[in-house]
This record gives sequence, C-alpha cells and structure tokens, in this order.
Amino acid sequence: MYALKTLSRQYVRFIITSFGIALCLILMLFLLAIYHGVADASVRYVRESKADIWVLQRHAANLLRGTSILTNRHGDLIKNVKGIKSMAPILFFTATVNLPGTSASVHLVGYDPVTGKGGPPEILKGDTLRNNDQIVLDNSFAAKYRIKVGDIFVIRDDTLTVAGLSGGTNLFVIQFAFITLEKARELLGFPGILSCYQIVVEPGLNPVSVAGLIRAVSPDLAVFDKVTFLNNNIHEAETGVMPLLYIVALIGAIVLTALLSLILSVYVLEQQRDYAIMKALGAPSEFIPVIIIQQSLILAGNGMILALLMFGPMLKAVGRFSPTVSAQTSFNQILTVASGLLIISLLSSILPLVRQRHIYPLEVFK
Amino acid sequence: MNDQNKICTAELVKVSKVFSRSGNETIAVNNVSFRVCAGELVLLLGPSGSGKTTLLTLLAGLQEPTNGSVFIFGKKVQDYSSAELQRLRANKMGFIFQTFCLLENLNVLENVTLVMKFAGIREKSARSHAVKCLERFGVGHLWNEFPGKLSQGEKQRVAVARAIANGARLVLADEPTGSLATEQGMAIIEFLHDSVTNDGLSVVIASHDERIANYASRVYRLRDGFLL
Repeated sequence: MYALKTLSRQYVRFIITSFGIALCLILMLFLLAIYHGVADASVRYVRESKADIWVLQRHAANLLRGTSILTNRHGDLIKNVKGIKSMAPILFFTATVNLPGTSASVHLVGYDPVTGKGGPPEILKGDTLRNNDQIVLDNSFAAKYRIKVGDIFVIRDDTLTVAGLSGGTNLFVIQFAFITLEKARELLGFPGILSCYQIVVEPGLNPVSVAGLIRAVSPDLAVFDKVTFLNNNIHEAETGVMPLLYIVALIGAIVLTALLSLILSVYVLEQQRDYAIMKALGAPSEFIPVIIIQQSLILAGNGMILALLMFGPMLKAVGRFSPTVSAQTSFNQILTVASGLLIISLLSSILPLVRQRHIYPLEVFK
Repeated sequence: MNDQNKICTAELVKVSKVFSRSGNETIAVNNVSFRVCAGELVLLLGPSGSGKTTLLTLLAGLQEPTNGSVFIFGKKVQDYSSAELQRLRANKMGFIFQTFCLLENLNVLENVTLVMKFAGIREKSARSHAVKCLERFGVGHLWNEFPGKLSQGEKQRVAVARAIANGARLVLADEPTGSLATEQGMAIIEFLHDSVTNDGLSVVIASHDERIANYASRVYRLRDGFLL
C-alpha cells in the first residue's frame, strides 16, 4: 500500500504524528470520562437514596446548587399526609475544615444514624456512624488528604473520629462528609433546623400522587417525586461548569483536525513529484485522493490505538495524583471518540485533496 | 509496405503551441507535422528549447495544441475526454524520462506493477509480467531494491521496463540517454529499438543526441519550434 509505505519511510515523523494524535484523543477521552464520572457521581447520592419523595424549601429544586432551610414545624405540617411511611430529616451545609498545613471544604450531611436514611450510598472502608463524635468521609477526599479510618478530624472546635470512608459521594469540586443530624445542628447552632425531608411512601402507592397530597397540605414547600428530583440534579450537574469540558474537548478536536490536515498537506507537498509522475503515467483520478485518505485513516487509526493503550495507565496515574478527579469511561465514549476521529480524518483530508488537484503531470517534463 | 500504408499510432498536423505569460507569447512549436507508425522509432532531434518536449506532451495528450490537430490512435486529442486520455496513457502509452522518474518509496517491482495497476491489470498477473519485463532488460534480480540504491543505468532500464509493462503501443521518451554514460545510453536505445523491431511498438524519442539517429526510422530536426 503506497500510503503506508510513504508514511513508514519517514518513521520518526510517523511516530511523532501518531503520538500527537493519540494525545489529542486522550484529552478528549479524559474530558468525556470526567464529564460522565462527575455527572454520575454528582447525582449518585440522590439516585441511590431509598426516598420516594424529596421535600425542600420553596424554590429549591436540587441538592447541588441552592439553599433549603426547613424546620421541624414543616415536618409537623406534612407528617399526617396519607401514604407517608417514613420521613427522614436531613441537614446539608458546607464547612471549611482545617487539615495539617492546609484547609478544605466538605459538604456536610447530617442524618439520623439510627434509621440510616440519608446516609452514604456506599461504605468502602470502616463503618457507618454510631455516635455524634464520628464522621464518614468521602473516599477520594480521604485519599487526597491521606486520612485513614480512625484518624481525628476537626471541624471548628469539634473533634470527630473518622468512622468510615464512603463511595459515590464525590462531586468533583466538593465531597460529601456524613455526621449525625444532632451534631450537624450543634455545629450550626440552630436546633430543629434541617434542609430537606426524604420520604418513603407506603408500599403500592404512587409517589407522584403522595407528592401531590403533600403539596396540597403545604403549598409553600417544594415537593418532588424521586424521578423528577433526580432529573433536576442531573440537569444541574450538566448545565454548570460541565459543558465547559465538552467545549475543551471540541477545541481538542479542532486542534487535531488542524494538525492532521497540516501533516497530510506536508506529505502532499513532499510527494508532489511522485503524484505528478503518477498522473503522467495514467493514474485514475481517484488513485491519489484514495492515497491521501488512506494516509489520514492510517495516522488516525494508529493514534487511536496508541491512545487506547495509554489511556488506562494515564487514568490510573491521574487517579493516584489527584484522587478527587472522578472519571468514568465506557465503550460508548470510546465509540464516540472513534466516530469523531473518523469524521476528523475525513475533514482533514479536504485541504490536501484540494492541494493535490493542483499538481499537474506536465511538471514531470520540466 | 510503404510508409503511407502503415498503421499510424500518432500524428501531428500543422501543430503550433503558443504559451502566454504576463502578456508575452512564446511560440514553443510552430506549424509542425509528423507521424509515427507501428514498428517505427522516430527521433525528434534538436537543442534545448527547440520544442521537443512540448511535442512529446502534445503526443501524450497532456496539453492541447494552440493550432493544428494531434491524432492519437486515430482520434483527435480534443475529442478524448480527460478520463479517456488518462486510460489511454495507462493502457496504451509508456513514458521514459531523462531523470527516470521512478517512485522512491516503492521498490523496483512495485514501480513496474503500479503502472499495470493503472492499466487495470490484476496484482498477481501484474507481478509475474513485471518480473518478466525486468528480466528482459537485465534488472530482474533487482526487483526488491529501492530506486535510491540503483545505478543510473539500472534506473533507466527499470524505467524502460515500466514503460512497456502495461502493453504500451506508443512509448514517448524524453532525453532517455541524458543522464547516462555513453555506453549505458546506447544500451537503452538498443533495448527500445529491439522492442520496435520485435513487438511493433511506436517509439518517439526527444533528444539532442545525434548517435540515436542510427537507430531511428525517421529523424525530425527541430530548432526554435520549427521542423527543419
């Protein structure tokens, strides 16, 4: 195959170009993985919650951005609504904690450890909370600051023992930490305060209908069935800074197109005399365009293989270097990038294809 | 058979070619008529700039005359579509260049089979035929070498093999001895002469080398675009 021979004769350039393409692809794969990882992790707490209905302050629509302050009085208003099996008060707030030589923010979640409702979706190490003097930290947060189960963790003037490490609680920009509701209220200094109620309905009842009954009793509250509330949170996760990742990935794709187009144009310039000879000797009109497209596909394919080989180890290295970076790769993402690469390699061929049209067989006779 | 009855492969009738650049006109070929028939080796003899190469490119259908008519295989060149001319060059014509014009990224065998691919010959039969052509010109053993490793004489032999490998009936050679030592150059001309004699090829050679005249069926002398 002439295309492969031309590329491999300049093997140093071939390798460098393939690595350049691979790095662009890794960037795209990485950004997609972060996007999906963060989007998934951001809502995992809600998704894996056993609550059928979420009740928040009026105008609050999600957990990720927005404030919700309720009191026990709100609970008294709705607790007798028909169909409610249980109500779990949860308190959220962000706190800055001092760590050796630095400080960090955590999104504290106060819940009742007796019922366990509103607690971490998954305990990876250690145990759940048993008393007010304990805390469960996000696993990636703990890894980042080298905190282990049993270590002492200080929030304001309170000393807490790390009881366990949780998974599915990394929101990328901040991580959840779990304490008892009583301790959370004590830290805030407002007894009886809470952020939301997680409600479980009686078996066989439709949560949407029960949510309607709660709204009827207390129209000032924001009441969501689980599906709606989950969608609100997904929407919030996907419309924040996250689309920026797609924009950066798009810029990566544009850079890759320009790089590939430039390299292919250089090959056309270098092969100008050969192409003129081929045209003089009677090469069919599609022969040289096919060579250029083949070159583009070979470079792109090579880049993709290298990217896939390097991506796994690179993801592990990033995870080790920065544990709070939450990335999630899937076959669909790889397929998306591969499809994008196919389009990029065809688009990159346009300029060199136009260039080769201006190579004339008469040049051979000069 | 007299000259009038021979099958005419290519013919130029009162052909002129004028190039215009920035308002200045250069007459490369002026009112030239000649023809080449099957089994003939025609020599276009003249110094540099006399219009020899322009005549070859006109015969190849790579450009059209400003005035007059060029006939290739009995049909006026203007009546061929560009695709038909491409197929004609691939199937019925062979080219030999002063600088050989071998493709440096391909080995000797691939250089020869490539033109056969253009002619629509299948890979397997192209390879076996290409090997025979290379052997005929004494370079069969070099089939796996790249042009960069060949001597000038070897390169030109490969170029001649390539020119006839596709079953060409008309071979156009532009200064085929120009880059070769005297002995090597004449060997190439002898190869071409043998092909004319044995295979009934039509060969047109553009050269300033007077010695080729000994092998030519006809010699046309050119100066400043005119046939003398």
